Amino acid sequence: MTSIGTGYDLSNSVFSPDGRNFQVEYAVKAVENGGTAIGIRCKDGVVLALEKLVTSKLLKPGANKRIATVDRHMGVVSAGLLPDGRHFVSRARDEAAQWRRFYKGPIPTSALANRMGSYVQAYTLYSSVRPFGVTAIVAGWDSEAELPVDGQVGAGPAVGAGGKKEGGKQGGPFLYMIEPSGLYWGYYGAATGKGRQAAKTELEKLDLGSGELTLEQGVKEAARIIYVAHEDSKDKDLEVEMTWVSALDGPTKGRHEEVPKELREEAERLAKKALEGDDDEEEGAERMQE
Amino acid sequence: MNHFPQAWGRPRDDVYGAYDASYLHDQNGPKAHTQSPIVTGTSVVAMKFKDGVVIATDNLASYGALARFTNVKRLRQFNTRAVLGFGGDVSDMQYLDRLLSSLSIRENYSAYASSADSADATEASAELNAKNLHTYLSKVMYKRRSDFNPLWNAILVAGLDGDGKPFLASADLLGSTFSAPSLATGFGAHLAQPMMRRVVPNEAAVANTTREMAEKAVRDAMKVLFYRDARSMDRYSIAIVSKEGGVEMMEDEQLEGQSWAFADRIRGYGTQVN
Amino acid sequence: MFRNNYDNDSVTFSPQGRIFQVEYAQEAVKQGSVVVGIVSKTHAVLAALKRNAEDLSSYQKKIIPIDAHYGIALAGLASDARVLSNFMKQQSLSSRLTYDRAISLAEITARIGHRAQVNTQHYGKRPYGVGLLIAGVDAKGPHLFEFQPSGVTQEMVACGIGARSQMARTYLERNLDHFEGSSRVELVKHALRALKDSLSQGRELTVDNTSVGVAGISEDFKLYEGQDIASWLDATFENREEGEEGESMEVDT
Repeated sequence: MTSIGTGYDLSNSVFSPDGRNFQVEYAVKAVENGGTAIGIRCKDGVVLALEKLVTSKLLKPGANKRIATVDRHMGVVSAGLLPDGRHFVSRARDEAAQWRRFYKGPIPTSALANRMGSYVQAYTLYSSVRPFGVTAIVAGWDSEAELPVDGQVGAGPAVGAGGKKEGGKQGGPFLYMIEPSGLYWGYYGAATGKGRQAAKTELEKLDLGSGELTLEQGVKEAARIIYVAHEDSKDKDLEVEMTWVSALDGPTKGRHEEVPKELREEAERLAKKALEGDDDEEEGAERMQE
Repeated sequence: MNHFPQAWGRPRDDVYGAYDASYLHDQNGPKAHTQSPIVTGTSVVAMKFKDGVVIATDNLASYGALARFTNVKRLRQFNTRAVLGFGGDVSDMQYLDRLLSSLSIRENYSAYASSADSADATEASAELNAKNLHTYLSKVMYKRRSDFNPLWNAILVAGLDGDGKPFLASADLLGSTFSAPSLATGFGAHLAQPMMRRVVPNEAAVANTTREMAEKAVRDAMKVLFYRDARSMDRYSIAIVSKEGGVEMMEDEQLEGQSWAFADRIRGYGTQVN
Repeated sequence: MFRNNYDNDSVTFSPQGRIFQVEYAQEAVKQGSVVVGIVSKTHAVLAALKRNAEDLSSYQKKIIPIDAHYGIALAGLASDARVLSNFMKQQSLSSRLTYDRAISLAEITARIGHRAQVNTQHYGKRPYGVGLLIAGVDAKGPHLFEFQPSGVTQEMVACGIGARSQMARTYLERNLDHFEGSSRVELVKHALRALKDSLSQGRELTVDNTSVGVAGISEDFKLYEGQDIASWLDATFENREEGEEGESMEVDT
């Protein structure tokens, strides 16, 4: 941040002499102040989880959901400026709907991430706009089945060529994270917001790359990781919001839905228990030091 | 007399000058939208009973007189409180199906987005009901006919209204709407309606009609339609919407107990031409 | 002229990731007179303190009925509220026309939130300088939403915005547990007491400077002003001192 005050950070779409776009970096700062959001790609689905800080006692408990459904099979959670997150979701919904109008089928998660990456990037190009103050995590389940010719109406030809590849696999769980610069990557485990460092450390312990973790385990890990990430702002009250999406034969039947209350509460109970265990150890260690 | 057929019925060149055919080749000439349906479905029949509505269509899509597609589902469930039945152009039906899909996805955005862990009852009451859906569809149909670009369909919307009471109404390619205890489109309006009206002549009669009575009346109507409607088929779909049971959809029904004895002495009916 | 280099417009982030223009717009809300909203299981109530520019002028409208089932209370730039309320009226009517359905409060709130967000992301626009409380009853029951110039919208059990509204919020937080089971009149009383707590020393709620809006399950949103709220005021502040009561009596005659 040594270049603050040199004037290169006052307008969007301006490079500093060392090739940085400061306004985008500042937008990232806005993200880093938001509640932690994570996503875990499991073998049979994806979980999204969000640390929601309760800023006022007057807020209606359990309302103000922030993980949004973008299409039947896809959800988005974001950290950073709340209204920017809503704008992002609104655009994502439009993209998903437009895809359906054009292709008569659901948008693949990768395509949505690509389109939203382009959209967000466009807001770094002009001095007349500011970048998005959000980092968004997109979770989706892409159908493994061959789609019928016209959605749900009619069965399509019962025989004939479809250009099928023997043994070819398609679809499955997908997870992407899009940053204020428009940059996006696919992830096994993604984290953003205030507690992202702690969350990333925990995600890395899970060995998600091997594709062994089940969705139900993923839900429990997600709740635990949110609680771990919350440790630094422990003085503030917390609500955990979780959604998931699975295959057609899974618990959500291919849809993006809220994790059922019972399961979420169970996951939160386990998370608290796991953390209390940790706390005891830490306290013990502190006492030793004293 | 001019012996060239293409000149017949036209103003005489020697009197009115050469025919000005330029408008026929003008790319910016009058624009024509759909003037007739292509692949079509025939009747939709439906009637109310005291706890809900029964609705049925056969599974045929005809190409003119040809029975072209024999497994086309013309009933569409929207949610637990509404089923639609489509008659008329099948590609327009498919367009409307996608339109309703996008509507349903939009409705689903806010399924849990704003409420606390609320009871399912209030959740369901916020969903679009059959009445909402019919209002929406009638606006779509009217807009399209006013653009001179109609969706060539006759639609019945069956289900429950905002108070959980049985709801049945129609919307058609002209944008007209109508509501009655029993409704039928196309051929059914002539053949099925009188049969169903015997059971539910008015709203008051609906209260005394059981599900079994309604279902039987509709299945009987489907049979008569198969006997007398040359664009119909004996495989059909039937759905029952009620407050308790939600939507029961049966999509591959076979007409039972057919009797063709009456056709024996009718000339020009079926395969017996002379 | 400016406090810093980053507060000229709403398209510039500060190095901390803040947008000062939006924060300044939030200050405009605090300049407006206080409004309060509360919901119970059956009702949603708005109460507002009206200001007049001078003794002989009329009072500024603070509560605007939008549709049969809900209304809004505003704090801040009234003309911005008028733009938003016109938009809300149009959207509400269009929902009734297209679907024969009363628009949900969550949906209408999201729509103005979306409009407000756009004003914070494009050069040449400014954020709205008004905060709103949106209260009413839809298919999912009674609701209260808060809208801020930043585009943040939140569903609340009770809320107060505007000048000195912290005192009202303190009252609301203290009595939070009573609201859910409150009757219609109790809810109005709570709202009036919260409003009263935000008044500066020596000022009183009168039939002239107070507005109340009420909606309930199977009860349309209605705005109450003037003599219609006299009995509520009397019942809420029955042990009011002689001198203070004189003020409202004077107006009555």
